[in-house]
Amino acid sequence: MKILTILVLALVLAPLSQAQFDFGGLSKTFDQAKSAAKMLKGAAGIGPEEEKVIGESVALEIVGQYGGLVRDPAVVARVNLVGRSLARYSSRPELAWRFAVLQSDTVNAFSAPDGYVFITRGLYDLAPGDDVLAGILGHEIAHITGRHALKIVARGEFLSGASSLAAQQSSDVRQLDAQLQHFDAGVGQIADTLFKNGFDPQTEFAADQDGRALASITGYAPGGLRAILTQLQQQGDKSRAIFSTHPPLKDRIHRLPDDPPPAA
Amino acid sequence: MNAHPNLSRGLVIALALTATTAALAALAAGGTVYSKHFKTPLLAEPSPLAASAGEVAFARKLTIKEVRGHWLRVSDGSTKGWVFAGNVSDTKPEDVKGLDGLPVAASQTTVTAAARPLTPAANDYANRRNLQEARADLDWLNAQCHQLTEADVQRFLQEKKKGEFQ
Repeated sequence: MKILTILVLALVLAPLSQAQFDFGGLSKTFDQAKSAAKMLKGAAGIGPEEEKVIGESVALEIVGQYGGLVRDPAVVARVNLVGRSLARYSSRPELAWRFAVLQSDTVNAFSAPDGYVFITRGLYDLAPGDDVLAGILGHEIAHITGRHALKIVARGEFLSGASSLAAQQSSDVRQLDAQLQHFDAGVGQIADTLFKNGFDPQTEFAADQDGRALASITGYAPGGLRAILTQLQQQGDKSRAIFSTHPPLKDRIHRLPDDPPPAA
Repeated sequence: MNAHPNLSRGLVIALALTATTAALAALAAGGTVYSKHFKTPLLAEPSPLAASAGEVAFARKLTIKEVRGHWLRVSDGSTKGWVFAGNVSDTKPEDVKGLDGLPVAASQTTVTAAARPLTPAANDYANRRNLQEARADLDWLNAQCHQLTEADVQRFLQEKKKGEFQ
């Protein structure tokens, strides 16, 4: 619990950089941070303000890493209509869900806390039907509703580095700078998971199952995700990275129910 | 102490089966579900166009009286009616609190939040990480998403026969 309190303080204090080190407002902000810390419990308890800052920062990293966004209003409208249809029946319908396509030929999809979902153009082009698109987006929505990225931060080693600041509650500029460094390190830790290491396989399999269930209750064919994974496996395209941060395709397919592919 | 591998595997399987059974049982008559919207409407008939029978607050415990396809006839003791299964959860949703300590119940944040610019902290993060172009992209995305209203999504669901309109 102490570590979680430290995390919350670190995250709440991150916006202080915008305050241009306004020391007069520090005590109030510290009080807010303490209040926030008191009410939180576990990664699932990270408040909406903290999640929003983390989510936006992670989203910036994703967009920066994958060539920017496809600025086609028709494409964005499509992914958002399908995505928000799914999200409204998710366990977190209240989030400001945003769906976008990344300017990248790789085949992958990402999510960031607070409702940001991204799919690469390489994957989007392979999903002409909404059933398949819903399967892909459903998987990413499940990562957000499951707070998977936030759990990485909550158990990350960078938390321990914030302990002295949290204990002293100082208004020292150097310590505020340290808070920013801790925050950046935490976002970097999430980015490393998304871009290099991936979530652990069990988390990915759970997201597959939850995403499939969400697509199904929304009215999309439950076999959409399995269909695209099978298609990618059969194509065996080795010229580009395909779900490189996810478990092997065959393992994911094996764990999904044997649903028929969506009608063309 | 390390548990025997077979024992651990058996325990995992047993827990998974228990969870699955519990989830299935929850969506049967006599089971329990929870509302997951700020105001979850209950309807007089199992149809999205049916008359309103009332509404229940966020995370309200509801007893299932009848199941008909994706629709459940539920009651919280005083309010009764039909609800689309996608609008309830078999587990009680957590209500996260804001910095003011007040619950941020699944409120009408979806549309308004998308219209807001990036937080000052995220703007600073973009500057520190030299991600100004990505920030411009996200600003563009937020503007696009803001133009897409809840009415648009509702119309899409109706046209495509999704959600309550299946």
